[in-house]
Amino acid sequence: MPRSRRKPAFRREEGLTAADIGPAILKRPPGDSQYRLPLAEVSPASHPIPDRSGNSERLWFAVYLPSLPLDAMPPSEQPRVLVEERQGIHRVLLADTDALEAGVMPGQSASAALALMPDIELLERSLPAERETLERLAGWLERFSSCVSLAGPDLFVLEIARSLRLFGGLRTLRRQIALGLDAQGYRTGVAIAPTPLSAIWLARDGRRACIRNAANILPALRQLPLVRLDWPASVTAALEGMGVRTVGECLRLPREGFAKRFGRCRLRELDQALGRLPDPRRAWRTPERFVADYEMTEEQSDRELLLAICKSLLEQQERFLLLRQQGTQRIRLEFFHLRAPASSLEVGAAELERRARHWFDLLSIRFEQLTLPEPVIAVRLESGKGRALRRQSASLALGREPGRTLNYSMRQLAERLTARLGSGSIHGVHTVAEHRPQYAWQTADVLTGVALSTSEAGLYRSSRPLWMLPSPEPLTMREGCPWHEGPLKLLSGPERLETCWWDDDGISRDYYQACSPRGRRLWVFRVRERRQADAGHWYLHGYFG
Amino acid sequence: MSRDAPTLDTVLENPRVWRGQGGRQTANGLSTGYPALDRCLSGGGWPDAALIEILTDAYGIGELELLMPALAALCMPPVSPDEEPGWIAWIAPPFQPYPPALRDWRVDLERLLIVRPKDADEVLWSAEQALSSGTCAAVLLWPERFDDQVSRRLQLAAGKGRSRAFAFRPVSAQREPSAAALRLRLTPEADGTEVAVVKNRGGRPAVFKRFFQSERASPESP
Repeated sequence: MPRSRRKPAFRREEGLTAADIGPAILKRPPGDSQYRLPLAEVSPASHPIPDRSGNSERLWFAVYLPSLPLDAMPPSEQPRVLVEERQGIHRVLLADTDALEAGVMPGQSASAALALMPDIELLERSLPAERETLERLAGWLERFSSCVSLAGPDLFVLEIARSLRLFGGLRTLRRQIALGLDAQGYRTGVAIAPTPLSAIWLARDGRRACIRNAANILPALRQLPLVRLDWPASVTAALEGMGVRTVGECLRLPREGFAKRFGRCRLRELDQALGRLPDPRRAWRTPERFVADYEMTEEQSDRELLLAICKSLLEQQERFLLLRQQGTQRIRLEFFHLRAPASSLEVGAAELERRARHWFDLLSIRFEQLTLPEPVIAVRLESGKGRALRRQSASLALGREPGRTLNYSMRQLAERLTARLGSGSIHGVHTVAEHRPQYAWQTADVLTGVALSTSEAGLYRSSRPLWMLPSPEPLTMREGCPWHEGPLKLLSGPERLETCWWDDDGISRDYYQACSPRGRRLWVFRVRERRQADAGHWYLHGYFG
Repeated sequence: MSRDAPTLDTVLENPRVWRGQGGRQTANGLSTGYPALDRCLSGGGWPDAALIEILTDAYGIGELELLMPALAALCMPPVSPDEEPGWIAWIAPPFQPYPPALRDWRVDLERLLIVRPKDADEVLWSAEQALSSGTCAAVLLWPERFDDQVSRRLQLAAGKGRSRAFAFRPVSAQREPSAAALRLRLTPEADGTEVAVVKNRGGRPAVFKRFFQSERASPESP
C-alpha cells in the first residue's frame, strides 16, 4: 500500500520539475524598471539580458544552523548558556530554551545570567568544535546530494535538483533532511530556491520558503529585510539611513550609484541571488582515508605470514596514496582475534610517506615487540590523514666522488631508533645562554629538524668539562681538603658563579678544576652561600673527559 | 707509466703492507688533531670505515678530548655543497655529554644525536643501525656487552656505512680478541695520561707518555 501511494507522488513531483524550472525570468519583457536594475557589470547596457546564470536547472537547499555554537557543545542536564569574551567581558551569545525562559538574554554579561539562574552551565565558545560539527554534518548531508557546499560558518547549501528522483520528490527529501537534522539535535532554518544565495537568505530569515521557479525569486526576496543578507553592519546601517530596509527597496536604486557606494560585490550578490550571474559553489568532500582489511579463512599465528599480509596491505595503501599524490604520517594496524580484543599497532613517520617499503621497515621493528595473545583471523590497515606529498628531486651527480653511501636518511635512522627504543630515548642538544651550568643546555627533538639558536662558541673556552653529572655529587672532606679517590689538587680557579638570587634556584658557587691522585680531572665546586645548610661543602659536578 | 700497473709504490700504499720504521705512510686517515699520535697511526690518523676501540677504566682522563678535534673536523661542512656533513651518534654515554664544552671544541651541536637505549642488546642494535645507515660520520658507544662476534658485526656495519665506530671498553678487554682496526689503551698516570697503541692494523704498537698534561693539550699547536 505505501508503495502505491508513493508512486503517484513521485510522478507528480517529476512533472512539476520539468514544467516549473526554467529561465522564466528571462522571458519577461525587459521594460519593467524593477528587472532592469540588477544588471551585471560585465554585461553591456543593451537588452535583453543574456542568460549567464547556468542556474536554470538547479535547485538549492540551504540549511542554516542559528544555534550551532551551542549545539556543537556536549549535551548536559543543566540549562546551558554559551558565552564569548568581548572587550574583556564575558557576554551571553546564545542560551537554550530553559535559560531563555528564566530571563537570560543574549548580550547579557555572564554574571547577570548567573544571577538570574545560578545553576546554569556556562560554556566558552569553541570555534574548532563548531568547525568539526559543521564538517561532520557536511559528511552526513553528502548522502542527499553530490554537491554539498559550506557557505559560511553556520550554513550549507545542497544542490538537490538531481536528487529529487532518487529521494521521491521534493517534499520527501525536505522532510528527510529536516527530520534528520532535528533528530541530531540541531535547530535549523531551511529554504529551497533556484539560486544558492536566495536560498541562504531565505533560510536565514527563518521562513520555510520553497521556491521552484526562478520567476518567483524576486517576489520572495522583495520583502526580505537587509539585515538577513550578512552584509557588513556599516552597509546595512547606511542603507537604512537612506530608508532602504528590504531587498526590494534596494533593487530600486540605480545600479551604478549602488555599486560605487557599497561596492561591486554587493551588486554582484544581488545579481547572483536573482539568478542573473552564475554562482558556482565548491563542493565539500569528506577527506579520504585508506582502510583495508585482510580476512583469513582460518586463524594464523605465523608471524612471517602476518608480516607478509601487512606488506600486501601496505602496498595497497601505496597505490591508493600514489593515485592521489599523497603521503601519510601515521598508520594503524589491527590484528583481530576470535576470542580476544584486537591487538593494535601504531607506527609514525617523521615525514609524509607513502612507500610501502619504508612503512614495512618501521612496522617490522615494532612488530617484533608486539605480543599477540591469540592467533589472528583478520588484519586491518588504517592509514592516517593523507596530505599532499611534495617530492624533492635529487641533484644530478656528475663526477662526484663516491663518498659515504647513504643507505637511508638521518630522519629514517631516527625513526627506526624511535620505533624500537621509544621516543624519549633519542635526542639532540643545544646550548642556552645561561650562567647556571645545569641550565646551559637543553635537549632538542631531532625529528623536527628545526635549527636551534645556539649561543656563540668560545664564551668559556676550555673551562667546562665534557662530562656532566646529572646532579652534583657531594665530596667528603678529609685532612682539610676535598677527597675523591684521594686528596684533590686544585689546578685552576676559582671561577665564581653567583646568579639567580632572585629565584629559588639561585647558585653561589666557586668552581675549580681539580686533579685526583689517579690522574682524573674533575670539575668541583664549593658552596658559598652562608644561608644555605651546605655552605662550605664541596661537590663534584663533572669530568674533563 | 700507466697507473693501472701494480708498481711497488702502489703495493706499499696498501695499509696491510707493513714496512717497518721510516716507511712511507698513506695518509687516508682522519687526523686526530694530535700530530704525535697521527705519526704513529698507519693512515696518519683515525682509520676510515673501521671499528676503533678505546680501552680505559676511568672517566675524566682525556678520553673524549682525544676524539674532539676529529669530531669537530667531521662536523665541518664538506667541500661539495650538496653533501651533508655526517651526524655524530653517542650511544649509551655514561654521563651527560655537556653541550657548552662540546661547542667550545667546535663540535656542531646540530649534528649530535644522543641515544639512550634500555639494555645491552639495544646498545649494539642502535650502534649497528647508526653505523650502517651511512648518515653518521662517527658513532661513539659505551657497550656493556662486547665480544669478538660483536666487534666483527660493528666492523662490517662501519664498512657498509663508511663510518667510524669508537667503542669505549674496559682495559681488561685488551686480552680478548677483536676485529677492531685500531685499539688504544688509556691509563691515567700521576703526571698525565698514557696512550698506548695496542693494535694498529698496518702499523706497529707504540706508547706515549704524558699525553694529556694537567693543562689542556692544545690541538692546534704542532
